[in-house]
Order: sequence, then C-alpha cells, then structure tokens
Amino acid sequence: MKIAIIAANGGMFDAYKVFNVATAAAATDAEVGIFFTFEGLNLIHKDAHKNLSMPAGAEHFLEGFKRANVPPVDELVQMASEMGVKMTACQMTMDVMQLEKEHFIEGIDVGGAVTFLAFAKDADVTLTF
Amino acid sequence: MEVIVNKVLDAKGLACPMPIVKTKKEMDTLEPGQVMEIQATDKGSTADLKAWAESTGNQYLGTVGDGDILKHYLRKESIQEEKPESKHPYVTTLDELSKKIAGNEKITVLDVRESAEFAFGHIPGAVHIPLGELEERFEELNKNDEIHVICRTGSRSDFASQKLAEKGFGNVKNVIPGMQEWTDSLEKTH
Repeated sequence: MKIAIIAANGGMFDAYKVFNVATAAAATDAEVGIFFTFEGLNLIHKDAHKNLSMPAGAEHFLEGFKRANVPPVDELVQMASEMGVKMTACQMTMDVMQLEKEHFIEGIDVGGAVTFLAFAKDADVTLTF
Repeated sequence: MEVIVNKVLDAKGLACPMPIVKTKKEMDTLEPGQVMEIQATDKGSTADLKAWAESTGNQYLGTVGDGDILKHYLRKESIQEEKPESKHPYVTTLDELSKKIAGNEKITVLDVRESAEFAFGHIPGAVHIPLGELEERFEELNKNDEIHVICRTGSRSDFASQKLAEKGFGNVKNVIPGMQEWTDSLEKTH
C-alpha cells in the first residue's frame, strides 16, 4: 500500500490528523509520503511543531488530549520519521516565508510540486489535510 | 482456560495510533506462528487490530474483555502455511467430519493449533495438543482410534498426521482445509 498526504494546515488538530494516519499506515507496512506546504510547514518546523495552536474556541480540548493520553506532536513526528515516513517541505512556500532547510526537523527533504506528484501518481490513497 | 502466549504487550492507557504502532514493533520480534497478547484500554483498538491483522497478513484470534482492559490475541503468520505441501496420504473434508460428528461416530478430533487459537473456538469434544507438544504428548492418544487431525488451514495438521503415522498410529486422517472454514458448532473456553 502506498499513501500520499498533503499537509496544508498548521494547527494542533491538523498535526494529529496528518501524523495519526501517517504512523498508523507506516505501522501497517505502507509506504507513506507527506508533502508539507503553506501553514503545513509548521508541523515540521523545529520550534513551531512543539507549540502548535488550537483552533479558536477549542482551547479547552487541550485537557482532553492529556486525559486521553494522546502523545505530544513532536513524539508522533519522531515516530513517523523512525518508521520511514518520507517528509518533504515545499520549496516555494519556504521561499515565500524565508525559511531554510535547517529551520526544520532532521531527516526531511525539500522539493517542489512535481516531487510530490511523482510520488503520488501511483499511490493507493491520497489525502489532503 | 489459560492461554499460552509468547509475548504480552502492555498498551494500556495509550491512545490511537499507539497500540497499532507498538503492536507492529513487537510483532517484528516474534517468530512465525507465535502468539501475542496485546493489553489495551483504547476502545477503538479492537476494530483497529482486526483491520491491521488483515492488512499485514497476521491472524486475529479474538478479544477478551477484562474489566476496562481489552486483551487482544494475534498470531504471527507463517509463510509455510501459505503454501501447504501436503504429504500425509489420508485426508478428509470438513463435511465428512461434520457428518461423522452428527452421527455420533466414535472418532477422535485432534486439534493441533496453539492454545489461544483453540480457546477462541474449537470443535466440541476435540482433544487439544499443539503441534509443538505432540512429540512429548502423543501417548495421550490411543493408537487404535480413528483420529481426525485439524488445524487452521490443513498445514500443521499435515505435519501432525505424518508424525502420528511415524509413531505407529494406523488410522489418522488430515482434515482439509481446517478450522478457518469450519461453520458447524464451536465451543469456546476463553
């Protein structure tokens, strides 16, 4: 199974949507690739991914995450990386936001839209978050 | 009944997708055919582990509730079972076995699966000796009985049938294809 994901949003909820599916898929022997673009870059930004914002009005769910023992985002990101999930940051968005590769976590690649399309063209599942 | 497992994984208190991620990691350390118990409190873990087993080619045996804890049993798939090479010359079908049981014929059903598989459903009255214990325990069986050997797919029961024939059992039949397609009555001991 091959799974291609686009992460285009950068909040706490978005991180869980992306990384829960990605790690579950990797654990099920799938080949997983995530393309991070626009606000989605937050999810792999060295500092930002440890301090993602909750949607306005949903701040009280923070407690719920603790109560349900949901792992912190940085742990999920590390796990995804260890399980071989391929992460690619969008070059164009990085240029717009004046970000460099060293602003991001270890082990990511940088690429353009075609990089993602080449990976996604024969994927069994394609998701956008 | 006590279920013998090769590994117990504690995934209690963990939320999705952690029970699956941990199961994957632990499963990689098991030998084919071994059984793992996964203890979880995540209510979604039953459906998830079933689906996971199906996608990865492992065998989901069943789940037992123990208070708030769910105990899931999985068996690591062995490559050998996917390509059974039948050698024991005497075989019988599930239909024939069903008829003999219904007709109260004096036969012995020997189930050679692992204890967790046996516990989650076996033919009522079946004698249980896992394949790995047959060498030490075959004397519990009577050489003159008509013995029907069964497992999940007909592969382990083939080995067991051959072994019993070597030991001088003269009336041994391998039941094909095995419990995975058995639709008649089942007894559970777990």
